[in-house]
Amino acid sequence: MSYYFTILSPTDVPLFNLAFGTSKSGGDGIARFRFPDTAQYMNQFIIHSSLDIVEEAQWMNSNMYLKHIDTYPPASSYISAFLTPSGARFLLLHQPPQLPSTTDRTGSGGTGTGSSSLLASSFSGGVGSTRASSSSVAANPTSPQTEEAVRQFMTEVYENYVKTVMSPFYRQGMEIKSPVFRGKVSAAGRKWL
Amino acid sequence: MSHPARHSSMLSLSNSASNLSSSSDKQLSSTQIPTAPPASPGLRVPSNRKTIYDRHLNRSRNGESSRASFAFLFAEMVTYAQRRVTGIQDLEKRLNEQGYPLGLRLLDLLFYRTMSSSSSSSLSSSSTSSSPPHRPLRILPLLHLIHGPLWRLLFTRSADALEHSVSPDTPNEYMITDNDPLVNTYISVPKEMSMLNCAAFVAGIIEGVCDGCGFETKVTAHNQPTEMWPGRTIFLVRFGESVMEREKVLERAGVK
Amino acid sequence: MTSPGDATPVRPPPSFSPGVPRGASKTRYPDERRNSSTPSLDPDLVESRVGSSSPTPPLSATTSELPIRSASPYARSLRSSTPQLARSSLGSPVEGRLDAAEDIRSLIIRSFSPVVGVYASVDTDDLVRQKGFKGGFWELIRPFGENVPGKVVIRDSIGSSRPWEDFGVRFVDLGGSSPTLYDSNTARTSPLAQVEEVLEKQLKSANDPLSGSVRPNDLLNFPSTSPLYKDYLRQLLSIASATPHETFRHPVASIIVISSRNTSPLESLRQLYADTSNGDRRLPEWIHPEYLRYYVLVHDEDQDDIAESTKLYDQMKRHFGLHCHLLRLRSNQCVVTDDDSVQVPECEWLSPAERLSNKSEPLVDLDTDGLPYLFESDVMAIKGFIRELVAQSVIPHMENRVAVWNDQVASRRRGISGRFMSMSRRWAGFGSSSRSSFTSGGGVSGNYDGAHGFYKPDTPEAILRKMADFAFMLRDWKLSASTYELLRSDYGNDKAWKYHAGAHEMCAVSMLLNPLAMPAKTKREDVDQMIETACYSYLTRCSDGPDGLRCLTLALELLKARGGSAIESATRWAMRAIDLGLVGPVGQGLLSDRISVCYASRNAIPGVRWGTRRRKAGMWSVLAADLWLRLGMPALASASLEEAERLYADVLEGDGVFLMPDMQTFIDNLRHAVKVEYLEARGLDTSDETIIADPLGTEETSEQLDKRMNRRSLIASPLDSAGLIAAQVTRDDDNPADDDFERA
Repeated sequence: MSYYFTILSPTDVPLFNLAFGTSKSGGDGIARFRFPDTAQYMNQFIIHSSLDIVEEAQWMNSNMYLKHIDTYPPASSYISAFLTPSGARFLLLHQPPQLPSTTDRTGSGGTGTGSSSLLASSFSGGVGSTRASSSSVAANPTSPQTEEAVRQFMTEVYENYVKTVMSPFYRQGMEIKSPVFRGKVSAAGRKWL
Repeated sequence: MSHPARHSSMLSLSNSASNLSSSSDKQLSSTQIPTAPPASPGLRVPSNRKTIYDRHLNRSRNGESSRASFAFLFAEMVTYAQRRVTGIQDLEKRLNEQGYPLGLRLLDLLFYRTMSSSSSSSLSSSSTSSSPPHRPLRILPLLHLIHGPLWRLLFTRSADALEHSVSPDTPNEYMITDNDPLVNTYISVPKEMSMLNCAAFVAGIIEGVCDGCGFETKVTAHNQPTEMWPGRTIFLVRFGESVMEREKVLERAGVK
Repeated sequence: MTSPGDATPVRPPPSFSPGVPRGASKTRYPDERRNSSTPSLDPDLVESRVGSSSPTPPLSATTSELPIRSASPYARSLRSSTPQLARSSLGSPVEGRLDAAEDIRSLIIRSFSPVVGVYASVDTDDLVRQKGFKGGFWELIRPFGENVPGKVVIRDSIGSSRPWEDFGVRFVDLGGSSPTLYDSNTARTSPLAQVEEVLEKQLKSANDPLSGSVRPNDLLNFPSTSPLYKDYLRQLLSIASATPHETFRHPVASIIVISSRNTSPLESLRQLYADTSNGDRRLPEWIHPEYLRYYVLVHDEDQDDIAESTKLYDQMKRHFGLHCHLLRLRSNQCVVTDDDSVQVPECEWLSPAERLSNKSEPLVDLDTDGLPYLFESDVMAIKGFIRELVAQSVIPHMENRVAVWNDQVASRRRGISGRFMSMSRRWAGFGSSSRSSFTSGGGVSGNYDGAHGFYKPDTPEAILRKMADFAFMLRDWKLSASTYELLRSDYGNDKAWKYHAGAHEMCAVSMLLNPLAMPAKTKREDVDQMIETACYSYLTRCSDGPDGLRCLTLALELLKARGGSAIESATRWAMRAIDLGLVGPVGQGLLSDRISVCYASRNAIPGVRWGTRRRKAGMWSVLAADLWLRLGMPALASASLEEAERLYADVLEGDGVFLMPDMQTFIDNLRHAVKVEYLEARGLDTSDETIIADPLGTEETSEQLDKRMNRRSLIASPLDSAGLIAAQVTRDDDNPADDDFERA
């Protein structure tokens, strides 16, 4: 499971980004997305596009943790959202590792597709995914266990976010640059995901 | 520039205006506002390695700050805001602006504390006492949040009244009443400024809370003295057009 | 502080076209279109436009293709509105085409038209060949059948009538050397590959800088459905040939034709009938042999005596009943210069294979379009004949069959005894074995011929399917849906997977087409489930790519037409089609654009800001642009990118800067790449570019340079620059109180 965590201000300004991999079941905590290194922007596109759903869910669901709200099927990317009361959005993109079996699927169609790194899941993401593939949380991105783990993660990040916000030198909408904050978020990722 | 010494001290005050106000204006809570600078690259980290992230946000929740020091501080804030203002409205606007960022912060802190300690009920909103707090989506829950938990966080008691405008022309107006605002306790307004109400600062806090929750609002403080409560203040909350539109949609959708 | 926002108040246009001022480009649009497309042509047929040459010189045509935006700072406010303006002037009103959603719906409905076989005697074909139709009588009448003139009234199973404007029938050749009925799929390549090939050819000719007549904005005409996509859809729906598992391509009727030149007319008619019922022209055994026969006598107006023909016609009516027609045609060839010449319309429903084989001709003679001409009297006669055939014979026949089968087979199956029968069928093996064995063996009706993979046409399963298909073609979707519903489980029990898939597919499609049953959420979940099942059966159990893709595409379009939250399902199926690799690169591009259109069609809930899918739509347009670019179609890429810009404009209020640094970098790079390739494709070398770009573009270039410096900084340290942006935003948003104080 690979993760891409973003905090966005109410006006969609990115305040904080972190990509990391699972640390459960022997994962090494390094993110391995299905896109090639040159296409890492896809994470941002997917996150950005899920804001459409966040905006809608925001007013239909009064919880702070909105759970899994959006999926981008071509890359099996799942988005979970957490909203702070003051309108900041915590978005976590999680992408299960590509299992070797899923790569065969594309061959069944009539015409073989030229593997597009953007759209088709046929991208060969096997590099190192074997080790992380058996992690417990990763098994099913929408399972209750995953939801709970993500909730715990979000809550812990929220605590640190509040601490950041309370600082008089922080104004809403400013990027969070503190290495300590980054460290805390990574630690939360290691702990829960 | 005529009073350099004074000026510099003011400057330092202004830099951390929100800090001071947040720690001072309420009797309890938030005294833990970090003295250490926020750890950002290039800035120093305290020698004991304790950053703001290592402190617990709830430690100070039951601590109270001295009323005397708050009074002094607030007096200084008013004095500061009064410098070269053009009129009462301008002064109130500045006080409002000082309160606004505080409201945004309090909102997050309020929810954090409610979330982390559902057992102690002092902060949980009156309607919902269950552990995961709900973000207010409609106007009424929002006003209840302000009237109850927020007021308790700031002044250790709820506000005194919450009313909806009776005029059909202004369905977007709500009134929160405080019979004896803490901020005005030690403030005596001269006759020629009788319109002034320094609780504009609190109005700013309310505005910050509403805005943070996604409710576009204008909040103003007005004197409404009665026999019994000469300092009675009404906070007039006027929601924007977009909020009222949304309210209708949410009502139809059955969102509470 | 210089923040990126300050430095670049104007985004460079994604599509840039040097040289022509904006005003000119706007006014030029409609004119050009009118010039280049002949009014008589179906505006939707893209390749006809590909073929026709534009009167404007190539270079100016290409430069005026894309809306141009000057780089002056005050253009900012205009920026987002410009593309819409340009497009709306470009769009439908000129051609008076239907509303886009209705249009696609009609296309889908028309693709399931009844099939009428044509079997003409040798003398008839000779007569028609004399007129210039190499394919004989079939080729002559084929284009006219696709749209029956006037309204056609159809009665549904409850007895209420409804007129339809767009009813048509599909003529297939039962004689001839190339039977078009059921073996078009034996071609060397798979039909999906053929579709792709046709599209590629189309695009290549469109992309050819020298042809200069096709505007990419025409091919990807966003606000409505792009003609290119529609063409793709049409081809996809034309793939199907007659197969056992569905009867849409089985002939509902067949016309037997002789001419007045025939020396022994009645014997010929009998012989032709015999050929089709048990002779060498017999249909495969899985096609129901009882279909309507219609007898036509073609009278040669130029050479033969009408009195003779009338006499013969009366004789025919006596022998063969009412399903007869006397068609009066002239045998002379008509040429353009004749007074009353009318151009034969082009066939709308050509299968990809036919398109590939026909392709060369229209490309060679650009000016004549390769379409023959007919005398007006002939056209009137053929139209009258087809109207009579359809309205008085084919439709009553189908209505009648549906009523009879509904009465005899379906109601029994639906009624108590039928339910019991199906129960007993299902539970036949009960007691003897475990659950697994009776689902596998016990429920089998025995009607399914597993070895050959079909039901015999007289089994209830086959008849019900035929009835459902008839009802579907008669647009009685309520009846068809309920009938498919009956069949779904039966086919599953029999492990007739292709039938199974087909019944699920058509059941879902019928439900979606039924205008009255606006499915509630649960119902739409049913529909989704059926499509899922159909896909699984088509693809995994039967490896039937074309049908699987058809199913997904139908689901996409019909769910899109439903609007609202059905859009989510629609896009899901489109992504599935891409994900499963059912479409080639061109199809992928088209589908990506289509997904974008789907998302863009979701409107905000009135009064509030949310409810749209603008960001998603924008993302898919960007992805499409990236795909087109990789396929070497910078013009299409430019159109998609421009659309993305339009979609994002609402989201990125103000300066149009993406707040996420990687996104901004990617889009900047994409823009640049599109620009470079676009110019290269036009054969402009760098010197040309500078010459053209100079008069207007100096300011723009300098700004671009500025921006690129910023971009480099983005690459170097994304977070820092994000900080700049963020800082700038906050500065705009809430003026820090302290500054204010000291200044005041």
